[in-house]
Amino acid sequence: MNEQAIKDLLYKLADDELILGHRNSEWTGFGPILEEDIAFSSMAQDKIGHSLAFYTLLQELGESDPDTVAFTRNARQFHNSQLVELPNGEYDFSLIRHFLYDNAEIIRFEMLSQSNYEPIAKVATKLKGEVKYHVLHANTWIRNLGSSTEEAILRLQSSLNEALPYALGMFEVSTFEQELIDTGIYGGEEAVKAEWLQRVQAVLGKTKLKLPELNGITPKLGGRYGEHTAHLQPLLDEMSEVFNIDPTAEW
Amino acid sequence: MYGGGNVFEATKFDDLQAEDPVKLAEFEARIARGEKIEPNDWMPQLYRKQLIRMIEQHAHSEIIGALPEGAWITRAPGFRRKMAQMAKVQDEVGHAQLLYSAAETLGKSREQMLTDLINGKSKYSNVFNYPAYTWADSNIISWLIDAGAIVNQMANARGSYGPYSRALERICAEEAFHLKYGHDAVVHMATGSPKQREMIQAALNRWWPPIMTFFGPSDKMSTHTETLMRWKVKMASNDDCRQQFLDMYVPKIWELGLTVPDPNLQKNAETGEWEYTEPDWEEFKRVINGDGPCNAERLAVRRTAEERGAWVRKALLSPKAKYVKPLA
Amino acid sequence: MSLTSLDPRVTRLHLPDGEIPPMEQKPALDQFETYEVFHLKKEGAAYTYVGPVHAPNEEVGFLFAKEQYSRRFPCVGLWIIRTDHIQVTPYAGDGENIYEMIRAEEPGTRSEQAEPYEIFQLKKRGKAHVHAGRVTATSFQEALQEAKQAFGEKGPVVNVWIVKSGHVLQSGEEDRDMWLTVPDKKYREATAYKVMDKITKFKEEQRNTPA
Repeated sequence: MNEQAIKDLLYKLADDELILGHRNSEWTGFGPILEEDIAFSSMAQDKIGHSLAFYTLLQELGESDPDTVAFTRNARQFHNSQLVELPNGEYDFSLIRHFLYDNAEIIRFEMLSQSNYEPIAKVATKLKGEVKYHVLHANTWIRNLGSSTEEAILRLQSSLNEALPYALGMFEVSTFEQELIDTGIYGGEEAVKAEWLQRVQAVLGKTKLKLPELNGITPKLGGRYGEHTAHLQPLLDEMSEVFNIDPTAEW
Repeated sequence: MYGGGNVFEATKFDDLQAEDPVKLAEFEARIARGEKIEPNDWMPQLYRKQLIRMIEQHAHSEIIGALPEGAWITRAPGFRRKMAQMAKVQDEVGHAQLLYSAAETLGKSREQMLTDLINGKSKYSNVFNYPAYTWADSNIISWLIDAGAIVNQMANARGSYGPYSRALERICAEEAFHLKYGHDAVVHMATGSPKQREMIQAALNRWWPPIMTFFGPSDKMSTHTETLMRWKVKMASNDDCRQQFLDMYVPKIWELGLTVPDPNLQKNAETGEWEYTEPDWEEFKRVINGDGPCNAERLAVRRTAEERGAWVRKALLSPKAKYVKPLA
Repeated sequence: MSLTSLDPRVTRLHLPDGEIPPMEQKPALDQFETYEVFHLKKEGAAYTYVGPVHAPNEEVGFLFAKEQYSRRFPCVGLWIIRTDHIQVTPYAGDGENIYEMIRAEEPGTRSEQAEPYEIFQLKKRGKAHVHAGRVTATSFQEALQEAKQAFGEKGPVVNVWIVKSGHVLQSGEEDRDMWLTVPDKKYREATAYKVMDKITKFKEEQRNTPA
């Protein structure tokens, strides 16, 4: 089994979860409703937890420990999609991103729980229930808000239009794509994307929101290969500000 | 997180003479028997008013108290701290939710309480008007402010109002984690590198004066205070809480080789009481009345959250919605 | 100009600087309905009241309840009930039995067919209401009488809540995996933080270092 391929897969999974978990955690204390503030924070914690689980698998494959990997790499070394590094914006954008991201995430987890690479399958099986709740949360919100007031629909539609090219960037294929598919480790991005489109459409179909015509959209690619927007490096600098005071210290 | 402070000043309108003497006697007898009061029971106006005020201030202290530590959520070093810091601040928001709910059972809506907070009409614990300059400040808050809050909350949990007791029971169970987490973080700093030690000592120096005011000035004993104690609304005097806190935590600070920045702090072997430099109550009053380093920012943040979230609430609010206060 | 804060998150909010006029009073109903939440701690236990959430509807209420009341402690099931669907008896004193103290009332309306009602009882003031069981009746009043027969004998009951079973949103079998990992989240458990060894070692080092 090609270890490089597995590592590549793990890095993109872990980095996505870490960066989005970090972004979502910024909402703690600023949310639109107290109860939603709490729910959003839980999901952010879950995501950071997922990234930790994947970084731990990487460590077992010989990479550095999770803290070092997460807190000392620079933007070029991150494999997350650009979608997750974008600033939070207002709640409509965070919600739309959450919706687009988690509907893909659940498909990945369902697939990975069937993976031939047992360590991944185990982690995915275990954490799937958490992602299931995230999807329930996202879809419930989109269904409720997406058919409510004109303002809400307008906000969500404009966030959807803005986020979609980045969301399509989540499905950027890796150098090892075919190998991962052939060895039964991972079903591959094309398969995830096809299923994702169906699920996303199904929810949007119950609202007044419209998925923009995909043909006219250029996906924002590059994230999986270390090309990022200007937002990622400042995020990483902030995240490691204390850690870097003394990287060898126990905090 | 919550301290005493200015909660119990007497208000002029509370005239017990106006209450039905038979009902009042029943009410007092129930409390004397150790029974809790539940939302639909008859209660004196003074009881209702003071409880709303106390629980509301407590709730505000949680939601505002989420801000100084929240400042370090995105910068917590390492996975362990990052996740715990998130969970801890989240808990504070959760506690606000529980407490607002308890206050609602007495007849004031949550929206009204939040509006009063933002417009400066009701107070919150004064310590949160001070800034958390460094990660170490956040650790000191997690440990010592929460420790103070637990002293207070354990006492209040024995109070007479059912919904408040229930909320506090849950809150205290959750805060056991905060206290341990805060202590753990401070221990790591204090026993760590010279830089870490320096950071934690500096943070302790900054936070000690506010901590000493956390429980509020000595209570002025009045008939009003006596009534509230008899009704089990006020459960312990501010000084008693402060003594209990010092007793439990000063030794734990000292064993880490940290210096408490008060040369007069010592336990009097004869009386068993802690002696300390009297906190600056003038500053306390000034800050609580709005002139602290962070008052404006705290309220502006809360207000922004309210205003920017308004479209969400408006979108979801059904025109048929009929608000009734929660049951318990 | 906007405010630069010690909190980078706040700085990013671009708060307005300077004097801000007081916030306007909200319209009377900028306030969601409340839902009462009951949780099941473990298999074989009874659903127990944990508190309310504010929510625009049942399904959002469920999302909120799940996080507010079941993120920190073991849970295998949740019930959500809109507050105004619950009928409440008067409260008795501790040690008394409310069933014995209220007269049977004639119901204002009856349903044509008997339907199930859920009964929650409070054993002692300050504690939480616990699900006693289900009765079948054509009205709340009848349900209360049924409850008295079914559950009223067993010791003091201070207060009773009655709700039509159809008004209870219940989590299902398929929801259980949402709580599977709650016990694994050790980072929010007090027991995960053990520092005695560090303190002891530190004290020893201090002792061995000449001042």
